Amino acid sequence: MTDARVDEVKTSSKAQKRSFIQVLGNTPIPWILPLALILICIFLYPIIEIVRLSFTNASLVGDDYSYTLSSYTSLFTSPGFIKMLWVTGFFVGFSVLFQMAFGFVIALMIDQGTKRNLVGTVVTRTAVLSAWAIPGVIIGIIWSLLYSETESGILNYFLSLAGVTNPVAFLSDPINALISVTVANVWRGTAFSMIFVYAGLQTFPNDVIEAAKIDGAGAFQRLFKVIIPILKPIILVNLIVITVETFNTFDMVMALTGGGPGRSTEVIALSIYNQIFNNFHLGEGAAAAVLLLVINIALTVVYFRFLEKGSKEGRA
Amino acid sequence: MKKMKTLMFLFMMVALVLAGCSSGGGDQGSDESGNGGGGNASVDVNIVAHPAYSLKASDQKVVGYLKNSISTFEDKNNANVDLTAYSSNISEAMAKLIEQASQDRAPDVAQIDAHILPRYYDYLQPLDPYLKKYNISLDDFYPFAKKVMKGPDGKIYGVQFTTDVRVMFYRKDLVSSPPKTWSDVLELGKKLKKQGYYPFLYPAGRGEGTTVTTILPMFWGQGGKLVDDQGKPVFGKGKNKQAMLNVLKFLDQTVKTGITPKRVSTYGSESDLNAEVATGKVAMFLGGNWQASQIKHILGEDEFKKWGVAPIPHKEGAEIATTAGGWAWAMFAKDKDKQKTAVDFLAQTFVGNEGMASWSNIGGYLPVRKPVYKTDEYKGGKFTDTFKKHLSKYAKARPSSEAYPEISAQLQIAVSSVVSESKTPEQALADAWSAVKAK
Repeated sequence: MTDARVDEVKTSSKAQKRSFIQVLGNTPIPWILPLALILICIFLYPIIEIVRLSFTNASLVGDDYSYTLSSYTSLFTSPGFIKMLWVTGFFVGFSVLFQMAFGFVIALMIDQGTKRNLVGTVVTRTAVLSAWAIPGVIIGIIWSLLYSETESGILNYFLSLAGVTNPVAFLSDPINALISVTVANVWRGTAFSMIFVYAGLQTFPNDVIEAAKIDGAGAFQRLFKVIIPILKPIILVNLIVITVETFNTFDMVMALTGGGPGRSTEVIALSIYNQIFNNFHLGEGAAAAVLLLVINIALTVVYFRFLEKGSKEGRA
Repeated sequence: MKKMKTLMFLFMMVALVLAGCSSGGGDQGSDESGNGGGGNASVDVNIVAHPAYSLKASDQKVVGYLKNSISTFEDKNNANVDLTAYSSNISEAMAKLIEQASQDRAPDVAQIDAHILPRYYDYLQPLDPYLKKYNISLDDFYPFAKKVMKGPDGKIYGVQFTTDVRVMFYRKDLVSSPPKTWSDVLELGKKLKKQGYYPFLYPAGRGEGTTVTTILPMFWGQGGKLVDDQGKPVFGKGKNKQAMLNVLKFLDQTVKTGITPKRVSTYGSESDLNAEVATGKVAMFLGGNWQASQIKHILGEDEFKKWGVAPIPHKEGAEIATTAGGWAWAMFAKDKDKQKTAVDFLAQTFVGNEGMASWSNIGGYLPVRKPVYKTDEYKGGKFTDTFKKHLSKYAKARPSSEAYPEISAQLQIAVSSVVSESKTPEQALADAWSAVKAK
């Protein structure tokens, strides 16, 4: 090989290298790779591990286990399974419904208050937000003091002032307990919905409202025909976030009722915790966690479909 | 030029890092040579304890005692004692400890819930040679403690250092002679209810208090067994099933007759009843010995004088029984020096006559070694004699079976369902049994 040829080969291989780096540099890969690696390590790997463990009879104590379907069969055939689904459905359904409704109303009120320069809107906003900032376990303890059925119970004391002679069994009656836990959760979660809707209202085009007013739309018409349709994407994202969050709530329930009386307030997330950390059944806890994951994914897909459909209709 | 600067910077960084590493290594080296030269190596012992028994305790008296004991010990011996705490979720902490032990990562010494000590035997080191020095023998301990401390080979694999016991507290001004049997409770309860009192309270929520204080004493009194000799659940079979059903039926009756308010189904721990006692309307309740000092604190000396303790009522024809709990120290360290130093520290602080007496005084625990009650240091309380009698005659520890946590959880659900009237006793027991059997 002559020197000139060698040089030629060298330059061409250099050019190839450079072009490869350039091509790679022009793709999103180097930008996505670090994030993808982190996501794989801290999200995907634990999920795969949970799915794998759900097909075993692993215990939190000891390393021996074998692959089996028994975790799922014992989960689905356990005496309280249907009830647990029902309890979780009630808790999540009503929590989400009221959190959305109250969050929306409070956000509208604060927004109107700010627009009208009313005194105290910042205080109100902070007060509502503080409920959201308090850890779930503390909320459980606060509400257990409120709900206490002894003479020291705060709510029962006020009820007695109002003439109710027998203390209300807020936590010891199975149905009341579920309602009480849901109310406490609505109190806790309303602030989150409020922030979402309030943020949406801040970016709201005022001229649309003005136009609606000029067209002669009343307050309710403006709310249902203008404000809600424009805020729909935000409301839907809020719906997804709080649904998933409520399904995963267990800290507050644990501090408030521990799932009792009986299993009347044992939501799926709490049952996972109990199975794994109190009864050491890692396999069965993982199976319940997979079930919760499937429910969450299914609901998110449904919501997204709804969102897509809504936006297509909106464009049409 | 720019490239050069970058290279220089990188080079300096690498040099700095390397310098840091090598100086660290140098320190270690000098440390080792120092120890070798002196021939008197300091022994590091790391002890992991329940938060309330560690330097993280919320009770400052406990922290003061421990700090003092550690510094005295370290001054006298060439040792470093590192006393830390595990998670306050005990079942989680116990599970983690087994996992660590199985991977040879356990701390030198750990505090273990005494009744599950047998589950750790495989990983523990025997303590017999060290205990002889302090004249501590197995016979000093109450029978339930002896049973868990002694391994299958006859060696001592842990030292229990506190205990507790369940009794019935009652108001002496309302109850002239405490009821012995269930029908006595129901009969007296109806009278007290008419007078406007809450006659008979017990923990019946989802918590370990329900199992150890409410269920087990009444169940064991009838000769019931939770698990067989192999540790397999048997509480839903034959005589045991009947005994458990009897307990649930009695609890059902206490709620139906109104002598027990339904709200006890929200109390999972014995101390949850303290708020009820504070109202001054409670006539009798099932609780733990430690509540005596809590109630005294809540009610004041004068009101506390009205209270007495008696055995937990049993079924007609059955026997008195109760549950004893407590904590044990166990040794994971294999190094002989560490073992010796650790036992010396534990003896001084928790296990020896003086240590156990002082520790029991400060924490309000019951000594688990009989000779300690006779020492001058041990102060005790108004009910100490009754508690002692319970410990030596009626007390049993929970089974160490791996199935126990699940059994206990299911029984708590059963009791709480019966008391909140969402299930019949038969239904609740059947559900608990099928849930345990499915595992």
